Amino acid sequence: MLAVASELGLPVIPRGAGSNLSAGTIADRGGIMLTLTRMDRLLEIDLENLVAVCQPGVTNAALAAAAAGHGLLYPPDPGSRTTSTIGGNVAENAGGLRGLKYGVTRDYLLGCEAVLATGEVIRAGGKLVKEVAGYDLLRLLCGSEGTLAVLTELTLRLVPAPESSGLGLAYFPSLAAAGRAVSRVLRGGVLPATLEFLDAVCIETVEDFAAVGLRRDAGAVLIFGQDGGPEGVQRDVARIAEACEAEGAIEVNVARDAAEGERILDARRAALPSLSRLGRVTLLEDATVPRSEIAAMVERIEAAGARHGLRIGTFGHAGDGNLHPTIVLPDPDDAEAVERAHRAFDEIFQAAIDLGGTITGEHGVGLAKLSFLERRHGADHVALLRRIKHAFDPQGILNPGKLGS
Amino acid sequence: MSRAIFTPELLDRCISCGFCLPACPTYVRTGVEVSSPRGRIDLMRALEAGELPDGDATVDEESSFCLGCRACEPVCPAGVQYGALLEEWRDHTWQRRGRSRRLLLGPLLWGANRAWRLRLLGLVRRHARGGPRAGDGPQLLLGCYERALFPRVSRAARKLAPALRVDRGQGCCGALHAHNGELARGRELAEQLGQRLEGTIVTTAGGCAAHLSTVLGRARVRELSEYLAEQGGLPRAGGERRRIALQDSCHLRNGMGVFAEPRALIAAVGEYVELASAAECCGAAGTYSMLRPNDSARILDDKLDELEAAGVDLVVAVNPGCLRQLQTGLRRRRSRVRALHLAELLAESHEHKGSL
Repeated sequence: MLAVASELGLPVIPRGAGSNLSAGTIADRGGIMLTLTRMDRLLEIDLENLVAVCQPGVTNAALAAAAAGHGLLYPPDPGSRTTSTIGGNVAENAGGLRGLKYGVTRDYLLGCEAVLATGEVIRAGGKLVKEVAGYDLLRLLCGSEGTLAVLTELTLRLVPAPESSGLGLAYFPSLAAAGRAVSRVLRGGVLPATLEFLDAVCIETVEDFAAVGLRRDAGAVLIFGQDGGPEGVQRDVARIAEACEAEGAIEVNVARDAAEGERILDARRAALPSLSRLGRVTLLEDATVPRSEIAAMVERIEAAGARHGLRIGTFGHAGDGNLHPTIVLPDPDDAEAVERAHRAFDEIFQAAIDLGGTITGEHGVGLAKLSFLERRHGADHVALLRRIKHAFDPQGILNPGKLGS
Repeated sequence: MSRAIFTPELLDRCISCGFCLPACPTYVRTGVEVSSPRGRIDLMRALEAGELPDGDATVDEESSFCLGCRACEPVCPAGVQYGALLEEWRDHTWQRRGRSRRLLLGPLLWGANRAWRLRLLGLVRRHARGGPRAGDGPQLLLGCYERALFPRVSRAARKLAPALRVDRGQGCCGALHAHNGELARGRELAEQLGQRLEGTIVTTAGGCAAHLSTVLGRARVRELSEYLAEQGGLPRAGGERRRIALQDSCHLRNGMGVFAEPRALIAAVGEYVELASAAECCGAAGTYSMLRPNDSARILDDKLDELEAAGVDLVVAVNPGCLRQLQTGLRRRRSRVRALHLAELLAESHEHKGSL
């Protein structure tokens, strides 16, 4: 199909479940929408090599469940994990709630089969921990947003599932205070498995949906967790709780059991869509800074919201510096408000870059952030991206008008 | 351009995140985006914006392929009211009903349209009557077709809760109309019923409960299991413990959040067995089993396989449509599993044990 499309110059947009957080799967130039959700066979869980081999349409949750059945863990767990596919996760280099300790999708991608725009089929990597035979195409394809090749089979690293886990909640008067607590936790020599926060706006909407008993009167909540041997977990959770209290937490609670912890994490995963309760337009961003700058970034976001008179709900992966400021507008036809929202995001991106960060941590560039790419990387870097794109896809048919074009 | 088919706030709520996909029975079975809630909302938006015309084959097909089970609602963090959108969609699209839809739905809706027609139905089969002891308790809803198809259900309900009043002149609640493209009439019937039956209305049909609570307000409506749970005094198990499964009523569970009560009541009289698919639609889906018999049977078959593998003696329904669907399917298979309404099960145990 790709060879024919190349000959005809017809755009092909490969996609998984289409959560589409950066407008990466919008067919704004028409063409073929190549939905891979029905290539959903899990081909193998190889217990000796600790890898899974699957087709791109397997959902993240299905792979994780299959791994768990063998006492293994597939760590990347984006909020969309029940629907998003492994193919989509690799194409976007998806992160998730475990990023701080376990890394992101690229850290688990060991091999793939991919079809180039020309119809040629390549394989890269394999069931190998080490491979240096050639350029690292795996890393290049991971996060390529469907602009370089169509991923048709993936080999992923699994790790032994941790013995136990613990989760706690710390409430703070403000998101910036929670951000300072994050820095204190990490300075304290603990590397938590989970370190997530929600501001007051998100607490409200998440609680409306999930009713897990979050305190609605707090300015922010920090969700922290650790996994591993039971003693280590207990010790680390206690140390994180202490650090939070030292940074002025109003209240610190520890989940009674794993089930309660899982309910809280599920509620956190619903943060973005639940914000849609507040208005008819939801605009999400993905600014990311070095984690030492998290409190400063939070303050810049709040200042931008106040300056433009906008309601911003911020949640994110506090531990890895990845923030999701989300603007909710009541009326899609209010062009002036939409304009203000874009100005605020412009300032937020600039602030992230100024603090040594980036315009997107895990959602991808897509259409939404394409215009900021040069500001982030400079002209030479962007020109190189174009040349790489051309080498893979000389006719420019794969997800055209996005990355590399 | 906006055509005012849908309430804009309802349609805008969805941000297309796809959390609903794994919960949708038609998406899970087909893997096709337009057969998912998110895909159908996209179709609705295209219809609203005039990007797809009235009579578009995909739009029409999907408006009827959807079961209307609302399993997408409890899993939606954005709180999209899919059931309400579906009613608006069918209200628009089904105005020009296809021939087969007209032949099947026409007589059904006509029959339930006037209280006296239902009263005639009631003469054929002996449903519950308001006896001399009838107190000033809540009103028992007889259901339009339920009163004729399953007259024992309302009799069992009165046995369990003698305080319930029975008004013999009551009509249909209008859920049937609202779900099948006559939204205004469906609301009107619910309002008329609300005026006729003062105070709290107790129903043995999850579908009616959800529709009535949408129109009359949640406070005025109690589904039977909810009512019995509130009254307290659960029946105790008598004799041998039978293994009993439950088929949730989709609208009761997804629309009203009632699912713990029937489980607790069953567990008090037998060994409750939770089916993995207990919360999933059985394929009855109101008129779906008549309008789309093949799709309906496919969904039911999965359920029946699971029921038989679970080795249960009974499966309990809390809505007449589900009860009819399960009974028909089990009979066709000559299964040893028996389907009955929760009210019947509890009344049986009540008779054996004497008191609640």
